[in-house]
Amino acid sequence: MLREWLSRVRFFVTSKRRREVDEEIQFHLERQVEANVAAGMPAAEARRQAMIAFGSRERAREECREERPSWGLESLWRDVRYGVRGLARNPGFATVAVLTLALAIGLNTTIFSLLDQALMQTLPVANPDQLVVLSFAGDHPGHTHSDGGNSPGHAHEFSYPMYKDLRDRNTVFSGLIAAAPITVGVTWNNHPESVGAELVTGNYFEVIGVRPAVGQLFVASDETAAGANPVAVLSFDYWKTHLAEAAVTGKTLLVNGAPFTITGVAAPGFHSMVWGRTPDVFVPITEQKVLVPEWDYLNDHSSYWIDSIGRLRPGMIAAQAQASLNTLFLSLRQAEFTLLHDQSEKARTGFIDKAHINLDEGAKGFSPLRGDVQMPLTIIMGMVLLVIAMAVVNVASLLLVRAAGRSQEFAVRYALGATTGQVLRQLLAEGLLLGLCGAALGLALAPEALHLLIRWMSGGSTETLAFTPTLDWRVLLFTLGVTVLASLLFSLAPMAQFQNPKLAESMKERGGSGGGRSLKFRRSCVALQIGFSLLLLVAAGLFVRTIENLKHVDPGFATDHLLAFNLNPALAGYPAAGVAPLEQRSIDAVAALPGVRGVGATNDSDLAGNDIQGDVAASGYTPKPDEDFDVELQWVSNGYLQTLGVPLVAGRYFNAGDTATSQKVAIVNEKFAQHFYGDARAALGHVVSRPTRPGTEATIVGVVRDVKHESVRDPAMPTNYTLFTQAPKQAGLTFYVRTWQPPDAAANTIRASIANIDGKLIVGDLRTLTEEIDENLLAERSIAMLATVFGALAAVLAGIGLYGILAYSTAQRTREIGIRMALGAQRGTVVRLIVRETMVLAGGAVVVTIPLAMLATQAVRSQLFGVSIADPVVYGAGIVVICLVAGLAGFVPARRAATVDPARALRTD
Amino acid sequence: MPPSADLLQGTLDMLILKAIALEPEHGWAIAQRIQQISGNVLTIGQGSLYPALHRLEYKGWIRAHWGASENNRRARFYSLTAAGRKQLSAELENWGRLTGAVNLVLERI
Repeated sequence: MLREWLSRVRFFVTSKRRREVDEEIQFHLERQVEANVAAGMPAAEARRQAMIAFGSRERAREECREERPSWGLESLWRDVRYGVRGLARNPGFATVAVLTLALAIGLNTTIFSLLDQALMQTLPVANPDQLVVLSFAGDHPGHTHSDGGNSPGHAHEFSYPMYKDLRDRNTVFSGLIAAAPITVGVTWNNHPESVGAELVTGNYFEVIGVRPAVGQLFVASDETAAGANPVAVLSFDYWKTHLAEAAVTGKTLLVNGAPFTITGVAAPGFHSMVWGRTPDVFVPITEQKVLVPEWDYLNDHSSYWIDSIGRLRPGMIAAQAQASLNTLFLSLRQAEFTLLHDQSEKARTGFIDKAHINLDEGAKGFSPLRGDVQMPLTIIMGMVLLVIAMAVVNVASLLLVRAAGRSQEFAVRYALGATTGQVLRQLLAEGLLLGLCGAALGLALAPEALHLLIRWMSGGSTETLAFTPTLDWRVLLFTLGVTVLASLLFSLAPMAQFQNPKLAESMKERGGSGGGRSLKFRRSCVALQIGFSLLLLVAAGLFVRTIENLKHVDPGFATDHLLAFNLNPALAGYPAAGVAPLEQRSIDAVAALPGVRGVGATNDSDLAGNDIQGDVAASGYTPKPDEDFDVELQWVSNGYLQTLGVPLVAGRYFNAGDTATSQKVAIVNEKFAQHFYGDARAALGHVVSRPTRPGTEATIVGVVRDVKHESVRDPAMPTNYTLFTQAPKQAGLTFYVRTWQPPDAAANTIRASIANIDGKLIVGDLRTLTEEIDENLLAERSIAMLATVFGALAAVLAGIGLYGILAYSTAQRTREIGIRMALGAQRGTVVRLIVRETMVLAGGAVVVTIPLAMLATQAVRSQLFGVSIADPVVYGAGIVVICLVAGLAGFVPARRAATVDPARALRTD
Repeated sequence: MPPSADLLQGTLDMLILKAIALEPEHGWAIAQRIQQISGNVLTIGQGSLYPALHRLEYKGWIRAHWGASENNRRARFYSLTAAGRKQLSAELENWGRLTGAVNLVLERI
């Protein structure tokens, strides 16, 4: 077999010359003539007989050529040449078709690239298929710091002691790593800024197999005693964009005010073991207390805060490893249980009996972000697939129109002996040529489109994003697949018309109606285009309504003229005791600025997708058995509620008399009061506290109206506001400044006044609350924007496609129209006739599409807000747009047909 | 025209291989030999001989070279390659099995 192929390859390269074949045939004939003469024939007869016996020389020559290994390619090349010539003869058609395809393919490539990055790409590390993500089931009393991404039975956060035990005592991993994200303040060249960082285990880079771009990365021995090894590794992007690729090895970087020695820079392309995390700085996990002094997690078995990924030993199967690791995990849990306060049988069941460990496929890394983007991306992908379906129908109908004008050309071909296969192959070649041109242009546009889209999604912020504007092999493969499939589909359209035509009829056929079958096909094309574009218009309408609704949701307080920024003195190296007083000083300083009407601060920013929740004990309230009622626990400054404008229902606001040393006070919202006391007034004077934290008891002095907190989508939570100055710990705060000044001017004076207190302080993420809300609605905004683009594109495509088909079929009917007009039809009547036919077709398509659209939108219900999937306004607008497009596409050719002189029209045949 | 029978699909290749198994031959001689030995039953549509020869050559089963014919003219001679010899014996065996089986059926029914 192999030899046969080798031989074919050899002859592919060195094909026989045509002359050799001729010579060989010539010899054969002459030899036959000789033999005939020898048998006694006269010379002329001998030649004649030899010719007859041989048959057609040309045919034999042809067949010899067809045996050549390179024949397939040669005929393909010929088909392509014909194709190019055919397209060049009709440049208008070719341009429209290629542009349509380029747009559709470019969009598909762009969106698929995002989908690929989010859902399919593996981590850029060595042997990613050996990686497994660890998670566990079972109770975890204590603190949990979660980024999200957990599901029942799959908690991804482990305690550091548990991690160490798993790492040191397992027999299944060649390495087990862990990391936790934090925000830090770094100072380089006296320029302070707040960046994302990752606390990582010493073996982090080694186990996942990331190489240094510069210097050295951490090794296992970098994970030392707590605080003993202040070293840092930089991410490549951060080093490049923020440090201008300076020589950093051995230099000192201030992280949260503490000096860290930079050992190296990680390889380009690597961000984190968690997809979507883009830390700029990596620090050994043992430096936790240096960077975040208010946590003391390194020795705490009940602080769950690090994500863990393991690399299986070569040949180890995940299921086998999980069983082995489970035994270890359960024995460790037994030991941990003895340390817990609650030793009841119920606690034991939850902590040990229900516990087990999971090893999930980890080649793509664990990622909370992936879950967030999956649904929006899938929806957008669905829409771009509709766009390409439209483009296919569009090009198919254009090809059909063009092919109808070529029926004679094909009839002649058949007459000259072309087989159906050859004709089909040529049509396919033309289709593929169009498709590939479209794909090439689309691919050329895609990186730029991707770049724009990513920049738009980042909202102009400079931080490193999870998405990168690059196309990998999977995207290219997808694009190629889509192109070939699309090309096959639209090439099939004219084939439907040319398969097996009756030769004579074809020759006779001149400007007829194009035959029943192709008419039906053309009508289906029109209906499909209208249907697809209506579907996209409806989707666009629903998402636009959703984002409009979300933007106009009243969160319960005025969001305009409100500036927000973050300030965390700990990032500037302030010791715990100094944080709250400094924050109070900052509040006072900003409040004293001209034009500022109010300043408030909180540890849990509003409408930014954040929440801090926990259970509370409320005096005078007996919890129901097994009650699990969490409330929002916000620490605020004493001007916070007034600045936001949260209305007071009962009692009083916090005021200047409530200080760090005065009696602890709390304000609750109506939902809170309703649940615990049934009524706002009844809540006043009661004491609330955190059940396991002594010293948190605070007396309720006021009740305020419910306001939205986590996002405009989510309803208000029962909330307990306490003062940050009276809180048991310090925390970074988000400041809210109500000012009538333009945001830019106000921002400058705010920065100046904070810098005036201490130049090391970092004013982080200064933005208006409106921007914050927008950012928080990124997914919804993205879908709405893209859906609008796709909807508009669909309408335009439908318009072009309809116009093409209608212009053609109307031209075909010139004769009929001539007769009608000769018999006395008015121009208006003729126009109405044609437009009415189009509208009837459009009406039919709309009626069929509406139920389909409702079915399709069911699937995206979770992404809608305040709009029904059968919203009459949306459907009405969609139908109006599509009818306008259809009407216009029909009207223009109809008018042209109606201006034809009847006498001339009748003479055309 | 002499009486002729249609060649079974694929048998032409086998006949060609067999015809040149002993010594190299040119196209005309191959056709001639097959026709004569079969008692004029098998006439090769001569136009189809050359495509078949070329096909076999491209497959690497036969090899072609220019040489002098019996009447001293330049002719293209075909000879078996090692792969062609193997192919021939495989086809002959196959053929034997096939005809044997067909005969068996014809005799018994």
